[in-house]
Amino acid sequence: MQDWFTQNIASLFTNLTAETVTDWFVYNPKEPILFNTGLFLGMFLIFYSFYITLKNTFYPRLVYVILFSLFFYYKSSGVFFLLLLGSSIVDYNLGNLVHRTQSVLNKKLCLAFSVVLNLGFLGYFKYTNFIIDTYNSVSDGHFEFQKIILPVGISFYTFQSISYIIEIYRKEIEPTKSYVDYLFFVSFFPQLVAGPIVRAKDFLPQIYQKLNVTKDDINRAFLLIIGGLIKKTVISDYISINFVDRVFDAPSAYTAFENLMASYGYAIQIYCDFSGYSDMAIGVALLLGFKLPTNFRTPYQSASITEFWRRWHISLSTWLKDFLYISVGGNRNGTFAGFLFPALFFFGLIVWGITYAPTSNVPLIIAIGSTVLFALTFLLSKEKERTMFTNVNLMTTMLLGGLWHGASLRFIIWGALHGMGLAVHKIIMEFFPSKKEEKKSFFGYVWLVISVLITFHFVTFCWIFFRAKDFTIALELINNIGKVTFDWEQWMVIAQGYKNVFLLMAIGFSWHYLPEKMINAMQSVFKSLPIIVKALVLGLVYWLVYATASAGPQPFIYFQF
Amino acid sequence: MNQNKSYFVPSLTIFAVSIAAFLVFKSFLPKKLFSESTVNAKNVVIDSLLLEAIEEENTAEEGDTLSNQPISFAAVDGITFPDETFSDYRGFQHLVQFYEKLYQLETTQQGNVRIAYFGDSMTDGDMIVQDFRTNFQNEFGGQGVGFVNITSESAASRNSIKHEFSPNWKTQSYLNVKNPRKPFGVNGHVFFANDTANVEWVKYKASKIKNLTELYNPTLFYGKSSNKSGKIALKVGNDTIYKKLSPNKLVNTLVIGNTTKNLKVDFIKADSIPVYGLNFDDGKGVHVDNFSNRGNSGLPISTFNTEVMRQFQEKLGYDLIVLHYGTNVLNYGSLNYTWYEKRMKKVVNHLKECFPGVAILIISTADKSTKYDLEMKTDSAVVPLSTAQKKYAIQSQAGFVNLYTLMGGDGSMVKWVEETPASANKDYTHFNYRGAKRISSLVYDQIYGGYQQFKKLRANRKPVKPAVKRDSVTVKTDSVHVE
Repeated sequence: MQDWFTQNIASLFTNLTAETVTDWFVYNPKEPILFNTGLFLGMFLIFYSFYITLKNTFYPRLVYVILFSLFFYYKSSGVFFLLLLGSSIVDYNLGNLVHRTQSVLNKKLCLAFSVVLNLGFLGYFKYTNFIIDTYNSVSDGHFEFQKIILPVGISFYTFQSISYIIEIYRKEIEPTKSYVDYLFFVSFFPQLVAGPIVRAKDFLPQIYQKLNVTKDDINRAFLLIIGGLIKKTVISDYISINFVDRVFDAPSAYTAFENLMASYGYAIQIYCDFSGYSDMAIGVALLLGFKLPTNFRTPYQSASITEFWRRWHISLSTWLKDFLYISVGGNRNGTFAGFLFPALFFFGLIVWGITYAPTSNVPLIIAIGSTVLFALTFLLSKEKERTMFTNVNLMTTMLLGGLWHGASLRFIIWGALHGMGLAVHKIIMEFFPSKKEEKKSFFGYVWLVISVLITFHFVTFCWIFFRAKDFTIALELINNIGKVTFDWEQWMVIAQGYKNVFLLMAIGFSWHYLPEKMINAMQSVFKSLPIIVKALVLGLVYWLVYATASAGPQPFIYFQF
Repeated sequence: MNQNKSYFVPSLTIFAVSIAAFLVFKSFLPKKLFSESTVNAKNVVIDSLLLEAIEEENTAEEGDTLSNQPISFAAVDGITFPDETFSDYRGFQHLVQFYEKLYQLETTQQGNVRIAYFGDSMTDGDMIVQDFRTNFQNEFGGQGVGFVNITSESAASRNSIKHEFSPNWKTQSYLNVKNPRKPFGVNGHVFFANDTANVEWVKYKASKIKNLTELYNPTLFYGKSSNKSGKIALKVGNDTIYKKLSPNKLVNTLVIGNTTKNLKVDFIKADSIPVYGLNFDDGKGVHVDNFSNRGNSGLPISTFNTEVMRQFQEKLGYDLIVLHYGTNVLNYGSLNYTWYEKRMKKVVNHLKECFPGVAILIISTADKSTKYDLEMKTDSAVVPLSTAQKKYAIQSQAGFVNLYTLMGGDGSMVKWVEETPASANKDYTHFNYRGAKRISSLVYDQIYGGYQQFKKLRANRKPVKPAVKRDSVTVKTDSVHVE
């Protein structure tokens, strides 16, 4: 026993050098702090112990969390924590200004100024090189790319700051009582770098409540953390490095079936990665006594693309709905801003089609076809004008929402595909309204399964553009998938070659499609466990994460049939 | 227990105990969840000679005598490159005859130079080689993609020529067949049109890449057979032209037609005739043939038939053979590469016998990373393997490119994968198009640097002998290393 202790526990401390300790506290761009790292685990334990002792205080607790949050952000993004501090001071004061200003015009000006300022920061860091690139390729210019590092999480906290100011403007909330409270909201480390995007009106009241967590909260927190860890580090990370990345790097070096499986693999990978990290964030916040909104509700169970967007990255889609879609006119008005982006997009699409016309007719057919399709989605409607406003505004939301994910044309295309999907679904619903029946018939269930499958495949198809490095790769992959033929024997051989990857994919999908009852039953088993057993389960999950992460990339395999 | 009672302390307890539990679990549960098992399914491409060699591996360690002494060279055509050390060995001396041909081409604008580039999945889809070819053709002239197989596993990923073929071809590859029905061609493959019910066809379309925009002088290569009634058919305009195959010699050529952009060839009644492939070149300048094979270790080259190769050499006239291997030898489990060194030395000597007078250039394995304790690092096999490759290069009098050091040495693959834009793929082994271009430039620059040095030495040499012409060179068997 003593030997074991010296080997495994004492060595943790005796092997410490000044250098490793410094590494813990100094920013290293290659090793940002993530919830699934050992460093976070250790630091959070210490942080949490003191947090509990401060639980009945107000400012000391807030300041303590802020300091840890800033440190957390410094570990992720270096000196940019100063940017976070600076922009929070400006936004706090602008919020107060918007609140105090009496005249509507001045209020609007203040609001416009602060939105432009926030988007300006985001635009500078995220889109400068994209704009230069677009300008260069359109006009044959030769502007140098700027060396701009994207501060981690800027897309998320910019949106949170904007929500704070707009909500004050819309009189949905009062400004925070002090700057410290505001900084606490913006810098709160669980959701700081990767969401969910917390709305001021949901979060601010919690700051002023008495801090408390119930047994149920903690159970939920640990369940979210366990689920998140498994989704993010066991499923997502493993299948991405050992399979999906390879195929997306060079699709034609792999068989048609591998191309198909890689696109399914990416669908489950991005879900597990994103929702897993969100779940961990929500879980960690819950441990601290704060309730963040649910961000994902098994989105691939959706039976339509409209439903998908109610279940995928909910905090972003509601943000976009409330602040972008409504602002450009929603389903009632057409505005210049609402028409600008779809018009630019379809114009660009047709120009692209025309430039390629000498070599191939396909781009022009795609360009005209999609423009006509989009027009039909409102021309066929009974309420043409209103549907046009709705669809155009939806398209604007999806185009800009796409661009929010990353500065590249392929995210715009991804957004456009979803925008088209939403518009097409709307017109289909107008012609074939779904019947609200109490009990589903057998055919009702069959139709549900078919709808879920169609929606899932549409979403997976769109993900190809989201993931592929460029269009050539995306088209290559789609083209390869077109060559898939049913060949059970070949599929089995490939499945054998990638048995770990395919097993994890199967686990990921089965988990996703498991009926809610079974999930609840499993959760109640966990909830009823004694504390010590819960801790053991959690410890076992850490080991699982560790053991998956230490498995090196599998050697590459080439099949020949 | 009251549901609303503060649950912070139990929460902290769970958290703290879970960490302790993890430390305990970590000490006795397996370290890795998924072992890196290599799959030996029948459809996985692995070279069978490599598997055999590993099985018979002779662990006897040889004394290391090479690394201590300077390496000096004997004059070729009155040209002697300066001595080299083992650590910086490049062996330009052994490329002198190749350089001489390049020099003749450059100064007189006449003749042509041909390079055979043998490789594994690294050069699949003409990666690396297409840029290597472009470098040479831009500098010394020459157009055309060179020799292309009838069927290829990587046809879809090849950009330098669009290549399609009917699925009914019977393919034998030196990768997994020891005794083919008819000898292998210089590409290590032999193809048969044995399906008498359906026509076998092959289709090529020139790419838009510079120097490769046409299918120059398409020429079919095929071997010997007793079937004298085979013919090929191709469409020119609206007419179908038939051409008879005369499989009389070990290697026969048939000029199919004029330079064109598209070509489709049907094979009629051609069963049992060994078909090798088509060559596309404009007859001047430099031409580079890519003979890549996924899973190849280089050892299958030892199955080349000397007579057949000599006939290929008569028709194609190679001046340089590049051997770019190693990737498939890295993960076999031991760090002792004596067995590989010995066998590859034989391969090089066999090539010299097959292609008399040809210069040989060995390219070492590139860097490759493996995960050690949660961190990606250079695989521990990379350095021993590249050293073994250098040893057989020296012993068999071949030039050598140390790709591992050229791309940055220790940890370089991690950088190539992680930098933006990335140059290598997430398997930490293969390069993408960007990386392939960098690699080909590294290799080309070293060869070209040697050429510049050669020109200086040539200018300063005493005018004793006339420039040697190809084919007049006698075969140099390496008497020291014959086993």
